[in-house]
Amino acid sequence: MTIIQDMLKAHGALENKLRELLGIPVFLIEMDAFALPCGCGGITINTRGLQLDDLEVFEEHILKYFTETVTSLEIDPSFLFVRLIPGTSEIASINARMLCSNCYMDFGRGSGKQPRPDIYILRFDRRE
Amino acid sequence: MEIVLNSSCMGGQQLTPEGYRTIDWYFDKLNGIGIDSITVADPLFVEMLAKDYDMDVVVSVLSFVDSPQKAEFYEQLGATTIVIDPAVNRQFDKLEAIRDAVSCDLKLLVNEACLYQCPFRYAHFNFFSHANGPGPKPNVLDDYYYFKCLSLRINDSQQLIKSPWIRPEDLKEYRHITDTFKIGGRTQFINWILSAVDAYANESYEGNLIDLLDSIKDLKDHFFIPNNELNGAIEQWKRCDKVCHKCGYCKRLAEKIIRVYSQDEDGRRMIPLGSSGDRT
Repeated sequence: MTIIQDMLKAHGALENKLRELLGIPVFLIEMDAFALPCGCGGITINTRGLQLDDLEVFEEHILKYFTETVTSLEIDPSFLFVRLIPGTSEIASINARMLCSNCYMDFGRGSGKQPRPDIYILRFDRRE
Repeated sequence: MEIVLNSSCMGGQQLTPEGYRTIDWYFDKLNGIGIDSITVADPLFVEMLAKDYDMDVVVSVLSFVDSPQKAEFYEQLGATTIVIDPAVNRQFDKLEAIRDAVSCDLKLLVNEACLYQCPFRYAHFNFFSHANGPGPKPNVLDDYYYFKCLSLRINDSQQLIKSPWIRPEDLKEYRHITDTFKIGGRTQFINWILSAVDAYANESYEGNLIDLLDSIKDLKDHFFIPNNELNGAIEQWKRCDKVCHKCGYCKRLAEKIIRVYSQDEDGRRMIPLGSSGDRT
Protein backbone atom coordinates (compact mmCIF):
# COMPACT_ATOMS: atom_id res chain seq x y z
CA MET A 1 0.00 0.00 0.00
CA THR A 2 1.10 3.57 -0.60
CA ILE A 3 1.36 6.06 2.22
CA ILE A 4 -1.83 7.70 0.94
CA GLN A 5 -3.75 4.43 1.09
CA ASP A 6 -2.41 3.82 4.58
CA MET A 7 -3.53 7.25 5.66
CA LEU A 8 -6.99 6.86 4.15
CA LYS A 9 -7.42 3.55 5.94
CA ALA A 10 -6.15 4.95 9.24
CA HIS A 11 -8.39 8.00 8.89
CA GLY A 12 -11.54 5.94 8.36
CA ALA A 13 -10.71 3.52 11.16
CA LEU A 14 -10.07 6.26 13.71
CA GLU A 15 -13.16 8.20 12.70
CA ASN A 16 -15.35 5.13 13.07
CA LYS A 17 -13.89 4.26 16.48
CA LEU A 18 -14.43 7.79 17.79
CA ARG A 19 -18.01 7.82 16.52
CA GLU A 20 -18.75 4.51 18.21
CA LEU A 21 -17.14 5.62 21.43
CA LEU A 22 -18.75 9.04 21.68
CA GLY A 23 -22.11 8.40 20.05
CA ILE A 24 -21.85 11.38 17.73
CA PRO A 25 -20.77 11.59 14.10
CA VAL A 26 -17.37 13.12 14.85
CA PHE A 27 -15.84 14.39 11.64
CA LEU A 28 -12.13 14.03 10.90
CA ILE A 29 -12.01 16.63 8.23
CA GLU A 30 -8.42 16.13 7.08
CA MET A 31 -5.37 14.04 7.92
CA ASP A 32 -2.00 15.54 6.99
CA ALA A 33 1.52 14.21 7.30
CA PHE A 34 4.14 16.88 7.93
CA ALA A 35 7.91 17.29 7.99
CA LEU A 36 9.31 20.48 9.47
CA PRO A 37 12.65 22.11 8.70
CA CYS A 38 13.75 21.68 12.31
CA GLY A 39 13.51 17.90 12.01
CA CYS A 40 10.12 17.30 13.60
CA GLY A 41 7.63 15.17 11.70
CA GLY A 42 4.25 13.57 12.24
CA ILE A 43 0.58 13.82 11.44
CA THR A 44 -2.19 16.30 12.12
CA ILE A 45 -5.83 15.29 12.00
CA ASN A 46 -8.20 18.24 11.82
CA THR A 47 -11.41 17.52 13.66
CA ARG A 48 -14.92 18.92 13.85
CA GLY A 49 -17.42 18.04 16.56
CA LEU A 50 -14.88 16.73 19.06
CA GLN A 51 -14.73 18.57 22.36
CA LEU A 52 -12.48 18.72 25.38
CA ASP A 53 -15.22 17.24 27.55
CA ASP A 54 -15.13 14.12 25.36
CA LEU A 55 -11.43 13.88 25.86
CA GLU A 56 -11.57 14.33 29.61
CA VAL A 57 -14.16 11.59 29.97
CA PHE A 58 -12.75 9.15 27.42
CA GLU A 59 -9.08 10.07 27.41
CA GLU A 60 -7.91 6.51 28.03
CA HIS A 61 -9.87 5.19 25.05
CA ILE A 62 -9.04 8.06 22.74
CA LEU A 63 -5.36 7.79 23.60
CA LYS A 64 -5.46 4.07 22.82
CA TYR A 65 -7.18 4.61 19.48
CA PHE A 66 -4.88 7.41 18.47
CA THR A 67 -1.79 5.42 19.47
CA GLU A 68 -3.02 2.57 17.25
CA THR A 69 -3.57 5.03 14.40
CA VAL A 70 -0.12 6.58 14.51
CA THR A 71 1.60 3.25 15.08
CA SER A 72 -0.13 1.88 11.97
CA LEU A 73 1.50 4.74 10.08
CA GLU A 74 4.92 3.89 11.52
CA ILE A 75 5.02 7.04 13.61
CA ASP A 76 6.50 6.85 17.08
CA PRO A 77 3.62 7.73 19.46
CA SER A 78 5.90 9.42 22.00
CA PHE A 79 4.23 12.83 21.78
CA LEU A 80 0.49 12.96 21.21
CA PHE A 81 -1.62 16.04 21.80
CA VAL A 82 -4.72 17.85 20.72
CA ARG A 83 -4.89 21.47 19.70
CA LEU A 84 -7.71 23.49 21.20
CA ILE A 85 -9.27 26.75 20.16
CA PRO A 86 -8.01 28.76 23.14
CA GLY A 87 -10.65 29.64 25.68
CA THR A 88 -13.13 27.08 24.32
CA SER A 89 -13.79 23.37 24.54
CA GLU A 90 -13.46 22.93 20.77
CA ILE A 91 -10.74 20.54 19.64
CA ALA A 92 -9.26 21.75 16.36
CA SER A 93 -6.91 18.85 15.71
CA ILE A 94 -5.32 15.68 17.05
CA ASN A 95 -1.58 15.54 16.53
CA ALA A 96 1.33 13.12 16.70
CA ARG A 97 4.73 14.73 16.51
CA MET A 98 8.12 13.09 16.54
CA LEU A 99 10.08 15.89 18.12
CA CYS A 100 13.52 17.01 17.05
CA SER A 101 15.96 17.58 19.89
CA ASN A 102 15.40 21.35 20.00
CA CYS A 103 11.60 21.14 20.04
CA TYR A 104 11.80 18.33 22.56
CA MET A 105 13.57 20.72 24.90
CA ASP A 106 10.86 23.35 24.42
CA PHE A 107 8.09 20.93 25.30
CA GLY A 108 10.19 19.10 27.90
CA ARG A 109 10.57 22.24 30.00
CA GLY A 110 6.81 22.57 30.37
CA SER A 111 4.70 20.64 32.80
CA GLY A 112 1.09 19.52 33.13
CA LYS A 113 -1.47 18.58 30.49
CA GLN A 114 -1.85 22.12 29.18
CA PRO A 115 1.52 23.83 28.84
CA ARG A 116 -0.12 26.33 26.48
CA PRO A 117 -3.77 27.43 26.23
CA ASP A 118 -4.08 25.77 22.83
CA ILE A 119 -2.45 22.43 23.66
CA TYR A 120 -3.71 19.48 25.67
CA ILE A 121 -1.16 16.70 25.95
CA LEU A 122 -2.32 13.11 25.72
CA ARG A 123 1.10 11.53 25.92
CA PHE A 124 4.64 12.82 26.30
CA ASP A 125 7.43 10.31 26.77
CA ARG A 126 10.37 11.94 28.49
CA ARG A 127 13.77 11.05 27.16
CA GLU A 128 16.62 9.80 29.35
CA MET B 1 -23.28 45.29 -13.09
CA GLU B 2 -23.71 45.18 -9.34
CA ILE B 3 -20.90 45.92 -6.87
CA VAL B 4 -20.93 44.46 -3.36
CA LEU B 5 -19.71 46.74 -0.59
CA ASN B 6 -21.38 45.14 2.35
CA SER B 7 -19.00 44.86 5.27
CA SER B 8 -21.02 44.67 8.44
CA CYS B 9 -18.39 46.68 10.31
CA MET B 10 -16.28 49.52 9.00
CA GLY B 11 -14.72 50.20 12.36
CA GLY B 12 -16.16 53.71 12.40
CA GLN B 13 -13.86 54.79 9.53
CA GLN B 14 -16.88 55.76 7.45
CA LEU B 15 -17.68 58.46 9.99
CA THR B 16 -14.27 60.13 9.89
CA PRO B 17 -13.67 62.99 7.44
CA GLU B 18 -11.03 60.93 5.59
CA GLY B 19 -13.17 57.82 5.55
CA TYR B 20 -16.22 59.67 4.33
CA ARG B 21 -14.26 61.36 1.55
CA THR B 22 -12.69 58.06 0.45
CA ILE B 23 -16.04 56.30 0.27
CA ASP B 24 -17.69 59.21 -1.50
CA TRP B 25 -14.79 59.27 -3.99
CA TYR B 26 -15.22 55.53 -4.55
CA PHE B 27 -18.98 55.83 -5.10
CA ASP B 28 -18.29 58.62 -7.57
CA LYS B 29 -15.84 56.45 -9.51
CA LEU B 30 -18.28 53.53 -9.58
CA ASN B 31 -21.02 55.81 -10.79
CA GLY B 32 -18.70 57.19 -13.44
CA ILE B 33 -17.92 53.81 -14.95
CA GLY B 34 -21.59 52.91 -15.22
CA ILE B 35 -22.19 50.55 -12.33
CA ASP B 36 -25.90 49.78 -12.14
CA SER B 37 -26.29 49.00 -8.46
CA ILE B 38 -24.38 48.72 -5.21
CA THR B 39 -25.13 46.37 -2.36
CA VAL B 40 -24.38 47.94 1.01
CA ALA B 41 -25.01 47.06 4.63
CA ASP B 42 -24.46 50.37 6.39
CA PRO B 43 -27.53 52.66 6.52
CA LEU B 44 -25.21 55.63 5.98
CA PHE B 45 -24.22 54.26 2.60
CA VAL B 46 -27.83 53.64 1.68
CA GLU B 47 -28.61 57.28 2.30
CA MET B 48 -25.44 58.61 0.63
CA LEU B 49 -26.06 56.58 -2.50
CA ALA B 50 -29.76 57.38 -2.71
CA LYS B 51 -29.18 61.09 -2.22
CA ASP B 52 -26.27 61.74 -4.54
CA TYR B 53 -26.06 59.02 -7.17
CA ASP B 54 -28.07 57.35 -9.89
CA MET B 55 -27.10 53.81 -8.99
CA ASP B 56 -29.67 51.46 -7.52
CA VAL B 57 -29.18 50.80 -3.82
CA VAL B 58 -29.47 47.21 -2.64
CA VAL B 59 -29.71 46.70 1.10
CA SER B 60 -27.54 43.74 1.94
CA VAL B 61 -28.54 40.63 3.79
CA LEU B 62 -26.02 41.91 6.34
CA SER B 63 -28.39 44.73 7.25
CA PHE B 64 -30.49 41.95 8.80
CA VAL B 65 -33.88 43.18 7.62
CA ASP B 66 -36.24 40.79 9.35
CA SER B 67 -39.34 42.90 9.98
CA PRO B 68 -41.69 45.25 8.14
CA GLN B 69 -40.52 48.08 10.37
CA LYS B 70 -36.88 47.67 9.40
CA ALA B 71 -37.83 47.29 5.76
CA GLU B 72 -39.80 50.56 5.89
CA PHE B 73 -36.81 52.27 7.49
CA TYR B 74 -34.49 51.23 4.69
CA GLU B 75 -37.00 52.07 2.00
CA GLN B 76 -37.34 55.56 3.47
CA LEU B 77 -33.55 55.89 3.39
CA GLY B 78 -33.65 55.20 -0.33
CA ALA B 79 -33.35 51.45 -0.87
CA THR B 80 -34.25 50.20 -4.33
CA THR B 81 -34.04 46.57 -3.26
CA ILE B 82 -33.86 44.84 0.10
CA VAL B 83 -32.32 41.41 0.61
CA ILE B 84 -34.30 39.95 3.48
CA ASP B 85 -32.52 38.34 6.41
CA PRO B 86 -32.76 34.56 5.79
CA ALA B 87 -33.63 34.12 9.46
CA VAL B 88 -37.25 34.77 8.40
CA ASN B 89 -37.18 32.61 5.27
CA ARG B 90 -39.62 30.21 6.90
CA GLN B 91 -41.76 32.81 8.65
CA PHE B 92 -44.31 33.53 5.98
CA ASP B 93 -46.28 35.97 8.12
CA LYS B 94 -43.15 38.11 8.46
CA LEU B 95 -42.33 37.83 4.77
CA GLU B 96 -45.86 38.79 3.80
CA ALA B 97 -45.82 41.72 6.23
CA ILE B 98 -42.56 42.98 4.74
CA ARG B 99 -44.02 42.60 1.24
CA ASP B 100 -47.08 44.62 2.30
CA ALA B 101 -45.07 47.31 4.06
CA VAL B 102 -42.75 48.37 1.25
CA SER B 103 -42.96 48.89 -2.47
CA CYS B 104 -39.27 48.40 -3.25
CA ASP B 105 -37.98 45.15 -4.71
CA LEU B 106 -37.26 42.24 -2.38
CA LYS B 107 -34.73 39.46 -2.72
CA LEU B 108 -34.53 36.19 -0.82
CA LEU B 109 -31.19 34.53 -0.17
CA VAL B 110 -31.92 30.85 -0.66
CA ASN B 111 -28.81 28.90 0.26
CA GLU B 112 -26.79 30.76 2.88
CA ALA B 113 -27.61 27.98 5.37
CA CYS B 114 -26.38 29.70 8.50
CA LEU B 115 -27.70 28.34 11.78
CA TYR B 116 -31.25 29.42 12.58
CA GLN B 117 -30.96 32.26 15.12
CA CYS B 118 -27.19 31.87 14.98
CA PRO B 119 -25.58 33.36 18.09
CA PHE B 120 -22.37 34.01 16.17
CA ARG B 121 -23.90 35.83 13.23
CA TYR B 122 -22.99 39.42 14.05
CA ALA B 123 -19.58 38.62 15.54
CA HIS B 124 -18.68 36.36 12.63
CA PHE B 125 -19.58 38.86 9.93
CA ASN B 126 -17.80 41.63 11.82
CA PHE B 127 -14.75 39.39 11.95
CA PHE B 128 -15.00 38.81 8.18
CA SER B 129 -15.23 42.55 7.64
CA HIS B 130 -11.94 43.14 9.39
CA ALA B 131 -10.21 39.99 8.13
CA ASN B 132 -10.98 40.85 4.51
CA GLY B 133 -11.11 44.63 4.68
CA PRO B 134 -8.36 47.22 4.82
CA GLY B 135 -5.59 46.65 7.37
CA PRO B 136 -4.50 46.19 10.00
CA LYS B 137 -5.73 42.62 9.59
CA PRO B 138 -6.22 40.53 12.73
CA ASN B 139 -3.69 37.76 13.13
CA VAL B 140 -6.19 35.10 14.19
CA LEU B 141 -5.42 31.58 15.32
CA ASP B 142 -8.68 29.97 14.26
CA ASP B 143 -12.09 31.04 13.07
CA TYR B 144 -13.83 30.22 16.34
CA TYR B 145 -17.27 30.99 14.96
CA TYR B 146 -16.92 28.59 12.04
CA PHE B 147 -15.64 25.83 14.29
CA LYS B 148 -18.66 26.27 16.54
CA CYS B 149 -20.97 26.46 13.54
CA LEU B 150 -19.88 23.04 12.30
CA SER B 151 -19.51 21.55 15.75
CA LEU B 152 -23.07 22.49 16.72
CA ARG B 153 -24.42 20.76 13.63
CA ILE B 154 -22.35 17.63 14.17
CA ASN B 155 -23.50 17.41 17.77
CA ASP B 156 -27.12 18.32 17.02
CA SER B 157 -28.09 17.37 13.49
CA GLN B 158 -31.53 19.01 13.63
CA GLN B 159 -29.62 22.29 13.14
CA LEU B 160 -29.03 21.17 9.56
CA ILE B 161 -32.76 21.08 8.96
CA LYS B 162 -33.71 24.15 11.00
CA SER B 163 -31.24 26.27 9.06
CA PRO B 164 -33.50 28.47 6.90
CA TRP B 165 -32.44 27.42 3.43
CA ILE B 166 -34.98 27.29 0.64
CA ARG B 167 -34.98 24.22 -1.58
CA PRO B 168 -35.07 24.74 -5.36
CA GLU B 169 -38.40 22.91 -5.46
CA ASP B 170 -39.92 25.31 -2.93
CA LEU B 171 -39.23 28.58 -4.75
CA LYS B 172 -42.81 28.55 -6.05
CA GLU B 173 -44.06 28.93 -2.48
CA TYR B 174 -42.40 32.36 -2.35
CA ARG B 175 -43.69 33.81 -5.61
CA HIS B 176 -46.18 36.04 -3.83
CA ILE B 177 -43.28 37.60 -1.90
CA THR B 178 -40.79 38.01 -4.74
CA ASP B 179 -39.55 36.48 -7.95
CA THR B 180 -35.92 37.43 -7.27
CA PHE B 181 -33.81 34.84 -5.52
CA LYS B 182 -30.19 35.30 -4.59
CA ILE B 183 -27.82 32.33 -4.64
CA GLY B 184 -24.92 32.75 -2.24
CA GLY B 185 -21.48 31.29 -2.93
CA ARG B 186 -19.33 33.70 -4.88
CA THR B 187 -16.18 32.27 -3.27
CA GLN B 188 -16.97 28.74 -4.47
CA PHE B 189 -15.59 27.04 -7.58
CA ILE B 190 -17.24 27.91 -10.90
CA ASN B 191 -18.61 24.37 -11.25
CA TRP B 192 -20.31 24.65 -7.89
CA ILE B 193 -21.84 28.00 -8.84
CA LEU B 194 -23.10 26.64 -12.16
CA SER B 195 -24.57 23.61 -10.47
CA ALA B 196 -26.37 25.75 -7.90
CA VAL B 197 -27.69 28.12 -10.56
CA ASP B 198 -28.87 25.15 -12.61
CA ALA B 199 -30.70 23.62 -9.64
CA TYR B 200 -32.48 26.84 -8.69
CA ALA B 201 -33.22 27.84 -12.28
CA ASN B 202 -34.82 24.44 -12.89
CA GLU B 203 -36.36 24.37 -9.41
CA SER B 204 -35.17 20.82 -9.01
CA TYR B 205 -32.20 18.97 -7.54
CA GLU B 206 -31.47 15.29 -7.16
CA GLY B 207 -28.88 14.50 -4.53
CA ASN B 208 -27.39 15.86 -1.35
CA LEU B 209 -28.94 19.19 -0.42
CA ILE B 210 -25.66 20.21 1.22
CA ASP B 211 -24.15 20.34 -2.27
CA LEU B 212 -26.15 23.53 -2.79
CA LEU B 213 -25.56 25.17 0.59
CA ASP B 214 -22.93 27.85 0.83
CA SER B 215 -21.78 28.22 4.41
CA ILE B 216 -21.35 24.55 5.30
CA LYS B 217 -19.58 23.20 2.26
CA ASP B 218 -17.09 21.44 4.54
CA LEU B 219 -19.89 19.11 5.66
CA LYS B 220 -20.85 17.88 2.19
CA ASP B 221 -18.58 14.86 2.54
CA HIS B 222 -19.86 14.17 6.02
CA PHE B 223 -23.64 14.39 5.94
CA PHE B 224 -26.06 13.37 3.23
CA ILE B 225 -29.42 15.15 3.21
CA PRO B 226 -31.49 13.56 0.45
CA ASN B 227 -33.21 16.52 -1.14
CA ASN B 228 -36.12 14.50 -2.48
CA GLU B 229 -36.98 13.29 1.03
CA LEU B 230 -37.65 16.90 2.01
CA ASN B 231 -40.65 17.09 -0.31
CA GLY B 232 -43.59 18.49 1.60
CA ALA B 233 -41.64 19.76 4.61
CA ILE B 234 -42.40 23.30 3.47
CA GLU B 235 -46.05 22.73 4.41
CA GLN B 236 -44.99 22.28 8.03
CA TRP B 237 -42.67 25.27 7.91
CA LYS B 238 -45.42 27.46 6.45
CA ARG B 239 -47.35 27.05 9.67
CA CYS B 240 -44.31 26.82 11.96
CA ASP B 241 -44.49 28.95 15.09
CA LYS B 242 -40.76 28.52 15.85
CA VAL B 243 -41.16 26.95 19.25
CA CYS B 244 -38.78 24.13 18.48
CA HIS B 245 -38.61 22.53 21.91
CA LYS B 246 -42.37 21.92 21.81
CA CYS B 247 -42.68 20.98 18.16
CA GLY B 248 -39.70 18.74 17.37
CA TYR B 249 -40.59 18.39 13.69
CA CYS B 250 -37.12 19.26 12.38
CA LYS B 251 -35.45 16.99 14.93
CA ARG B 252 -37.61 14.06 13.89
CA LEU B 253 -37.05 14.81 10.23
CA ALA B 254 -33.29 14.98 10.74
CA GLU B 255 -33.26 11.63 12.51
CA LYS B 256 -35.36 10.10 9.77
CA ILE B 257 -33.57 11.25 6.64
CA ILE B 258 -30.01 12.41 7.34
CA ARG B 259 -27.26 9.93 6.70
CA VAL B 260 -23.58 10.06 7.55
CA TYR B 261 -20.72 9.08 5.28
CA SER B 262 -18.48 6.43 6.77
CA GLN B 263 -15.18 5.09 5.48
CA ASP B 264 -14.16 1.51 6.08
CA GLU B 265 -12.08 -1.12 4.32
CA ASP B 266 -14.80 -1.66 1.72
CA GLY B 267 -14.79 2.02 0.85
CA ARG B 268 -17.11 4.91 1.48
CA ARG B 269 -20.71 4.23 2.37
CA MET B 270 -23.67 5.97 3.98
CA ILE B 271 -25.03 4.97 7.35
CA PRO B 272 -28.13 6.22 9.16
CA LEU B 273 -27.54 9.14 11.48
CA GLY B 274 -28.71 7.19 14.52
CA SER B 275 -25.94 4.64 14.19
CA SER B 276 -23.41 7.24 15.20
CA GLY B 277 -25.63 8.90 17.72
CA ASP B 278 -26.97 12.29 18.60
CA ARG B 279 -26.34 14.12 21.81
CA THR B 280 -29.64 15.90 22.05
